[in-house]
Amino acid sequence: MVFNSYTFIVFFIIMLVLHNLPFTWKVKKVNLLIASYIFYAAWNPPFVLLLWLATVVDYFVGRALYTQPNKHKRKLLLVISLCGNLGMLCFFKYGGFLLENFTHLVNTIGFNYHPAKPNIILPAGISFYTFTTLCYTIDMYKKRSEPVKSMLDFALFVTFFPHLVAGPIVRPPQLVPQFETPHTATQKQLMNGLLLISLGLFMKVVLADSMLASPANTVFGATGPLNTLDAWMGVLAFSGQIFFDFAGYSSCALGVASCLGFVLPENFLYPYAAIGFSDFWRRWHITLSAWLRDYLYIPLGGNRNGKFRTYINLMITMLLGGLWHGAKWTFVVWGALHGLYLCIEKLIQDYKMRAKPQRQTVSQASIAVQGVRFMAPHFLRNVKSSNFLLALLTFFLVNVTWVFFRSPDFTSAWTMLSSMFSHVPKGAVLLSNLTMIKVAVIIVGMVISHWFMRNTRVLTVANKMPWWLLGIIWSAMLILLILSQESSSSFIYFQF
Amino acid sequence: MEAANFKKAGILTLVLVLTCIGSWELYLRNHGVKISYNDDAPLWANKRSHIYNSQERSTFFIGASRIKFDLDIPTWENITGEKAIQLALVGTSPQLILKNLSEDKNFKGRLIVDITEFAVFTRDSGDHESAKKSIEYYHKETSAQWASFHINHVLESQLVFLETKVFSLSALLSRRFPFANRKGIQSDVNFPIGFEPSMYNRQNVMSERFLADTAGQRTMKNYWRRFGLLDTAHGMTGDTLQNIFIDIKTNIDKIKVRGGQVIFVRPPSSGEMLAAENKAYPREDYWNKLLAYTNTPGIYFEDYPELTHFICPEWSHLSPKDAVVFTKDLIEILQNKYKWAFYNKQSFALNNLNSKNF
Repeated sequence: MVFNSYTFIVFFIIMLVLHNLPFTWKVKKVNLLIASYIFYAAWNPPFVLLLWLATVVDYFVGRALYTQPNKHKRKLLLVISLCGNLGMLCFFKYGGFLLENFTHLVNTIGFNYHPAKPNIILPAGISFYTFTTLCYTIDMYKKRSEPVKSMLDFALFVTFFPHLVAGPIVRPPQLVPQFETPHTATQKQLMNGLLLISLGLFMKVVLADSMLASPANTVFGATGPLNTLDAWMGVLAFSGQIFFDFAGYSSCALGVASCLGFVLPENFLYPYAAIGFSDFWRRWHITLSAWLRDYLYIPLGGNRNGKFRTYINLMITMLLGGLWHGAKWTFVVWGALHGLYLCIEKLIQDYKMRAKPQRQTVSQASIAVQGVRFMAPHFLRNVKSSNFLLALLTFFLVNVTWVFFRSPDFTSAWTMLSSMFSHVPKGAVLLSNLTMIKVAVIIVGMVISHWFMRNTRVLTVANKMPWWLLGIIWSAMLILLILSQESSSSFIYFQF
Repeated sequence: MEAANFKKAGILTLVLVLTCIGSWELYLRNHGVKISYNDDAPLWANKRSHIYNSQERSTFFIGASRIKFDLDIPTWENITGEKAIQLALVGTSPQLILKNLSEDKNFKGRLIVDITEFAVFTRDSGDHESAKKSIEYYHKETSAQWASFHINHVLESQLVFLETKVFSLSALLSRRFPFANRKGIQSDVNFPIGFEPSMYNRQNVMSERFLADTAGQRTMKNYWRRFGLLDTAHGMTGDTLQNIFIDIKTNIDKIKVRGGQVIFVRPPSSGEMLAAENKAYPREDYWNKLLAYTNTPGIYFEDYPELTHFICPEWSHLSPKDAVVFTKDLIEILQNKYKWAFYNKQSFALNNLNSKNF
């Protein structure tokens, strides 16, 4: 079930009513759990079995990990959990990819091996709920938090429908305590939730689907070289589309949870106003980047084993982060580019720190600024108000990475990059003037709004507004949402 | 902001949204806009699923837009007492849908295939995107999508502004701001309002407003010209054409083996469109060969005096009034010449007679 569908509206109204009826807290939690399974099963019922399997295995393994005194047995239990979770993910998500690469490899070294293509359906949201359950078992192994007391609470933690299929990726301490005591929304939480749902649907339906999806699809669907302007407009349209699509989903998830009285962690903080790439990853898909930092980068050694290992760890983290998005080498290259940007940024920071050791006490954010400033052309470095220009430079470099993320293969990606960065005589002209105006207005508006909102939150701003102004903005979003009439297309991140 | 102020903002939002959307709806209704359903993949899938309704005796229709305008479904159902299931897709060859039906072992009924030459005899006739999308949607439809479709149906039945093609935000912008375009880019296709409202049974019915609007009809004729439908160059020949014949025959044979009946229909066209079609797709090179190769009967409108007098307002599709006449005549031909027996023909005739007597 997707948030932008009539089915979800009816489902959500029923859930709101049920959650506010005078049932016991346990009954309300059972309602939420059943609703979450219905929410998931409405897409493909048999895959609920996978959810059950992951829930049951990790609940018991998690408890055993926490209570088992024997070190070796604990390690064995952890391996069982990792194999179970990652094995499931590998089979469904990477099975075809691994087989394809293995086939390519053995054929390259001279064996004639051509297996049938596996027909594996990817369960929606498997990457998200696998990471959710994984962090629980790892936390139990490291004894970072206590095991969840009841199976019901754990099942609800894994399955809670607002975050189930596309995050935010929650940690046990963020959500489980909320299930232990009765939660219903206050009037303010309900109104905040409804505002966030409206904003999320506006971003997804009006901006991503109605305005930006078509130019992005047209440009990335082209088979030959493109006119430079069209190529750039297509890439910018995609950068807007993926932000509004995913941030829209996250906003809806937070809003739905808020209407039920729960709080989920934020996933986006105006990422296109980021100054540098460490700043970008503190703002884009925050719960994934935090997960990768805590459960991959730091266990790999983080920055504790010297500079060279730090760069290696950064690259490994970003390569796997890229692969998490999809079983394609283009995603790996996308991750590699981000890894490279982060390494260069860090290299520059380290150089600056060496040059000016007295500045060691400055904040991480300003170090990042220095890093990206150094990458900027000379004329930008001397401009006083250059932070905005540095954010633009970051945005520009992020757009280059989106080419690999969106292109179906490397040939298309190279064609797109050459169209963007060189003059292509007779490059195809694809976009109409109206489309280009729409893309330009939305992207410029997006970047400026990110810049002005970069140090605040939408609810903080909404709460400071006069009520009549908030009412006018809110109604404008809803009217445009109703007029858009986009069919309930899936969110891009569902496929991950 | 206090919770009370947030509540005030919420109430203001509700009032503004209801006022604006209500005003928009009233404005459109006052301008004669009638209910129209989005003729999209979910609606197609809903009709496609009728194959599994064992309670119904149905005839299925596939092809391009002509059969969608020319077959008047209420007339068909009144006269025959049987359901007419419209599976044709605008601007699309019937090939993919025919293949889909032939591969479904449950389909063993009657099938009428609209042969609009420029849609059938094209290089991508077996690869039309809208047909692929509809078939894929039908096979992959989730229960959530099914439920959304039915909720949407209730809303679409009440609100005229929910016609996506004409009144969605993108369509409104495109119609409101017809900017001059860059070289090599054609302007958006915006058919005149009222040309192709779609009923829930997927029949397209031209509105009275469009029938009275000669400028709108001229616009449509210009679109046909822009789409190349008035080109007189001879259509495809050789292996490509032969492959289309082979593909159609293969699929029709599968249906016939299961006891199904298939018949081709060439609906009327007129004016420059008919003249161009006659030149580009001479009957002896396409229609006659198709019938002979597939060993399937066909009704070519020019062979029947009762079907030749129609004048299509925009050269390609019948007006609603003519669609009623065409449908009645089609049933007569099917019954008299091809001996199709309709389930309820006699009881309908009897009921009709009784109602006239009283």
